[in-house]
Amino acid sequence: MNYVWHIGVMIGLYVLLASSLNLVVGYTGLMSLCHAAFYGIGAYTTTLLMMNTGWNFFPALAAGVLVSILLSLVIGIPSLRLRGDYFVLATLGFQVIVFSILYNWTDFTKGSYGIPGIPAPQLGTLNIETPMQYFWFCWAFVVIGLALLGLMAHSPFGRTLKAVRDDEIAAGALGKNIPVLKILAFVIAAAFAAIPGGLFAGYMRFIDPTSFTIMESIFILSIVVIGGAGNLIGPILGAVFLVVLPEALRFLHIPDDAAASLRQIIYGLMLVALMLFRPQGIKGDYKFE
Amino acid sequence: MALGFALIYNTTRIFHVAHGIAYTGAAYICYDLLINCGWNLPLAIGVALIGAALFGVMVELFIYAPLDRKKASTLVALLASLGLYVAGVNTLALIFGNETQILQPNIQATHKFAGIILTQIQVAQIATAVIILPLFVLFLKYSTIGKIIRAVRDNPQLSRVLGTNPQRVRTVVFVLGSLLAGGAAILSALDVGIDPNSGLPALLVAVVALIIGGLGTFDGPIWGAFLLGILQSLVVWKFEARWTDAITFGVLILFLLFRPQGIFGKRGRVEESTT
Repeated sequence: MNYVWHIGVMIGLYVLLASSLNLVVGYTGLMSLCHAAFYGIGAYTTTLLMMNTGWNFFPALAAGVLVSILLSLVIGIPSLRLRGDYFVLATLGFQVIVFSILYNWTDFTKGSYGIPGIPAPQLGTLNIETPMQYFWFCWAFVVIGLALLGLMAHSPFGRTLKAVRDDEIAAGALGKNIPVLKILAFVIAAAFAAIPGGLFAGYMRFIDPTSFTIMESIFILSIVVIGGAGNLIGPILGAVFLVVLPEALRFLHIPDDAAASLRQIIYGLMLVALMLFRPQGIKGDYKFE
Repeated sequence: MALGFALIYNTTRIFHVAHGIAYTGAAYICYDLLINCGWNLPLAIGVALIGAALFGVMVELFIYAPLDRKKASTLVALLASLGLYVAGVNTLALIFGNETQILQPNIQATHKFAGIILTQIQVAQIATAVIILPLFVLFLKYSTIGKIIRAVRDNPQLSRVLGTNPQRVRTVVFVLGSLLAGGAAILSALDVGIDPNSGLPALLVAVVALIIGGLGTFDGPIWGAFLLGILQSLVVWKFEARWTDAITFGVLILFLLFRPQGIFGKRGRVEESTT
């Protein structure tokens, strides 16, 4: 039974990651390849504060969100001036730099050894440890996060973002401040990405930089694209699908390392096929054109 | 590698991530033929290069060309390319395993030039760089095919009006680009071995070189690669090897922000001149 709860937790984390990225990719129409960097920043900030200063989980998580916001401003303000491929490239550069720092700044992050023994989050006096407890804990965040993102998507702000996506020049001509809107979307997405980061650290009780590589960024982007960008349901579908898929392969008695490869082959090919035949994803109203 | 990517990117505006597969794929074919099938080296290299070129053409014909016909944006092509890259890497990992494979099991003979010790392969790398690259640039500058490629690069619509077949040109470009990637991969694999994930880092460094050197030219990437190589060695020498990645990509971001046309590129906002 723990196994099912565990999958539930993982789905929750990826739902939150994909839904926040969706704000940038689906609503604003910008392709970002550094979402795993913010995920990692959230995880590492939360962990280091809990371990080194003995902070409780919640303030540490909030600090993680704050750091993520600051860094997303640092990278977002300059790179959002760039368009298309160049913006992708800038986010990619940021992703590589963050990974490289997590991996190589051994005094601070313990590098490739990772950080073991992260304390579990506490709710009052209750330690949230078992997968079932963590499932409810995690999904509380997911539901609140989704509600906030949903409110945003249906607010004038969300609609303006879509306008920027569909016709930047027209939106600008109507007096919308496009750079500010893009940066807001980017920063909000980064803030939401830090939350699953902290949750991941508190759940796994161990983190190392390999969870936050560029391949992870590509994976999160694939969830959004395969599920369908530009609405709220798409990323959820995508997350459920891409998290459950490898678990299904497990029951086919494929050796573990082969299954990992196979999973990635499947989602890679799916990405190609979707781009060719159904660019809006499983459920999406926004086509990449 | 940088030149091969530049060739494709300049001509088709596709951010060809799957180029990394032409790279690793060629090295693996070479490895397989050399070690497992016991072929001799030149033959294995030849087949590997043909394999890389074939891969490039297939990708163009079955993925990019249909997307182009549907007037899909380059971001769609980028996503498809990413997907293909992920699938390709893992196919290779499934077949050959995730470990680094060594092509040259023996310790190599070394040559000494004025106090610098180089292995045979490193000599070959330098020789290739010195001979092939200038030839390639000359070819692009002065041959008819090279001129047509540059015409399509500068203005696809106009060159179509003037009777070139853009599809043919694109195919040729993918062949040439993939050949260069395959060549680079084999040279590097012979030196330090190959693992399935080495394609993306190689590609990214190539892209950085491209941005530094300047897009829209064909000799820019070569100078960019040269400068980047020197910078990376300086980092290793003066600083620490582990920070090369961070510094390489820091340089990339600086260039993107302050001089997106690169050192040798033409003036003007590149991302706008591309559409």
